[in-house]
Amino acid sequence: MTAGEHSALELSLAGCHNCEQVNRIPAGVRGAVMRCPRCGTAIRPRKPDSIARTWALLIAAYVFYVPAMVFPITKITTLGQVQSDTIMSGVIYFLKSGEWPVGLVIFVASVFVPVLKLFILTYLVISLQRRSQWRPRDRTRLYRVTELVGRWSMVDIYVVTLLVTLVKVGAVANIDAGPAALYFAAVVVITIFAANSFDPRLIWDSLEKQQ
Amino acid sequence: MTEAQGGTGSMGAVPEVVVEEKRRISIVWLIPLVAVVIGAWLVYKAILEKGPTVTITFKTAAGLVAGKTKIKYKDVEVGKVESVTFGEDLSKVVVTAELSPEMRPYLTEFTRFWVVTARVAAGEVTGLSTLLSGAFIGMDPGREGESERDFIGLEKAPVVVADTPGTRFVLRSKSLGSIEAGSPVYYRRIRVGEVESYELEQGGEDIVFRVFVFAPHDRLVHENTRFWNASGIDVSLNADGFRLETESMVSLLIGGIAFDTPSNLDTASAAASGTEFQLYPSREATTKHEYERKDYYLVYFDGSVRGLKVGAPVVIRGMEVGKVVDMNFLFDVQKVDFVVPVLIEIEPDRIKVVGLEPGGEERKMVNELVARGLRAQLRPGNILTGQLMVELEFQPDAPPAMVRTEGQYQVLPSVPATIDQLRLGLNEILRKIQDLPLGKIAENLNNTLAGTSRLVNSEELAASVHSLNGTLMQTERLAADLSDDVMPQLEGTLKQARSAMQNVDGLLRSDSPAYNELMTMMRELSGAARSIRMMANYLERHPEALIKGKSR
Repeated sequence: MTAGEHSALELSLAGCHNCEQVNRIPAGVRGAVMRCPRCGTAIRPRKPDSIARTWALLIAAYVFYVPAMVFPITKITTLGQVQSDTIMSGVIYFLKSGEWPVGLVIFVASVFVPVLKLFILTYLVISLQRRSQWRPRDRTRLYRVTELVGRWSMVDIYVVTLLVTLVKVGAVANIDAGPAALYFAAVVVITIFAANSFDPRLIWDSLEKQQ
Repeated sequence: MTEAQGGTGSMGAVPEVVVEEKRRISIVWLIPLVAVVIGAWLVYKAILEKGPTVTITFKTAAGLVAGKTKIKYKDVEVGKVESVTFGEDLSKVVVTAELSPEMRPYLTEFTRFWVVTARVAAGEVTGLSTLLSGAFIGMDPGREGESERDFIGLEKAPVVVADTPGTRFVLRSKSLGSIEAGSPVYYRRIRVGEVESYELEQGGEDIVFRVFVFAPHDRLVHENTRFWNASGIDVSLNADGFRLETESMVSLLIGGIAFDTPSNLDTASAAASGTEFQLYPSREATTKHEYERKDYYLVYFDGSVRGLKVGAPVVIRGMEVGKVVDMNFLFDVQKVDFVVPVLIEIEPDRIKVVGLEPGGEERKMVNELVARGLRAQLRPGNILTGQLMVELEFQPDAPPAMVRTEGQYQVLPSVPATIDQLRLGLNEILRKIQDLPLGKIAENLNNTLAGTSRLVNSEELAASVHSLNGTLMQTERLAADLSDDVMPQLEGTLKQARSAMQNVDGLLRSDSPAYNELMTMMRELSGAARSIRMMANYLERHPEALIKGKSR
């Protein structure tokens, strides 16, 4: 990092989100709520309470992830025989029955991506708290990946939604959404919020402070 | 911050932000809080809903799928099979299942599990619904007893589930017959119960049946009720003719038990649950009394005992009083003879004793009876089959004998069988015939015949016959004369006699003058008698009248 690179905050400046006016931040007010003198909007040089909020959402996501995996996501009734499948049992079923591309897609979308996202965010938050200096560029890239890939986790929910609406043949064949669907959707949504509340600029802030 | 200060300086036109107080705790923490609350609630619910885990041991796991097979009670799902594994030494299949928590108090030592599959058995078709939905495990909750978690699965659905109203009874029998678990129990050919199970008793003596009689028919079982095996066909051929009897076609196939309460006995109270009964082999057998007291006697038979079997009846004057219990075959070295000891069992209660003096002993009667000539004898019981029975009968001609005791048994004296006696007699006759001087007899006979022949052929005899002929002819003539001369005279005499009798009769008739005169005379006579009586009375009171005459 060269000496010419500075963040706005470093220069005691902050832009207003609404009216885009650049404002000066007086010394010693870090941590207090600031307002734009022109439009009155709250000015946040960084996302407010980024680390805390990310943590909170991450914890919520982790908590919801457990029932999402344990409870059945689909309840398939064929000829009076009820079969409940969790996400993992569905994946295993597809892999075993030779439909491994389908199994792989479900695995990636339902297990791999959400877990990856949760872990990346957790790592990023922890690295921020520890004021890590390690490869800030790569860490920022990780964050971008997280944002990009996160929404694909909803594939699972879409599949379930479609199946439930399509397969309704009474007692012969019927698919119902299990309780895990709700928790899984909560995990996906909360992770998206968590990724949103994370402020990647903090990665660079800690770098500047070290200098 | 020096750089920052400098920056501010270079951009003097930049306005300063408005500074406000900041809230301490971010509202975002509500999200994980809610998540944790939901999570905690889920965990709590899971723990609350976590039912008891049981293991059920089956012989095979036919139709059981881990994670899929349900456990049902009254067709309501109450649990699910979690795993199907092998037991020790691979001989059994152990099914681990989780039941719903409300079943917890009903998992006792009396709880039963069984696999329900489509089953076509004699008499019924069950579990057709499982053809579509797959097998499930049926459960019969136990309402009492010790809490239990390890069960042994039944091979077959139990006949009677716990809350069926009715009563259980225990039957004992020497043989199983064709009775199975599930065999029907009949009362007057109505199906009123079922056989739940049977087992060989510990000692191997009896077979113990558990039967269940449904309410309200269970009240028909009394203390004195008799159960009998109603399996198969009962064919009997007796004096009444040929009889064929069966409770029903079902019992013909799968066996059955019937019961009835004899009306001749006192009406006893209804039997309590678990009451033990004897299971008789047939309806006929129920009418036979069971006698507690049994006396055993030993009888030695010299002759052939062919046709005598264990169980053959012992009769006195045609009444059955016992049976043959055991037979043996001995060789007496001292007598150099074979002998057959037969052990007979006599039920003294079959014989009603009358005229017994108080304090008198029945046992001693045997000695007296034998002294009077009571002997055991083999008799043909059935002419067709040639079976023998033992008859105790007074034999006045029998040589005197005594009851002796041999070991624990008293020995009754025996006489040879009737057939043997007959044979002996026949032999005697034959021997006598042999001893006859047949040659001499023939010679004498011959001489006699020769003399006779001579006599017949002699001339004197011819002359005698001739004169006899003449005599006979004269006699005949005399008879003819008699009938011709004497008979008419006799007839005339009889006619005169009859007319004389008629005259007498006319004389005595009521309208004849002679009769009237006679009657008048009689009346006069009685009037005279009355006058004499009056005079006598008067004289008694007035004796002076005899002298003075009647006073006026």
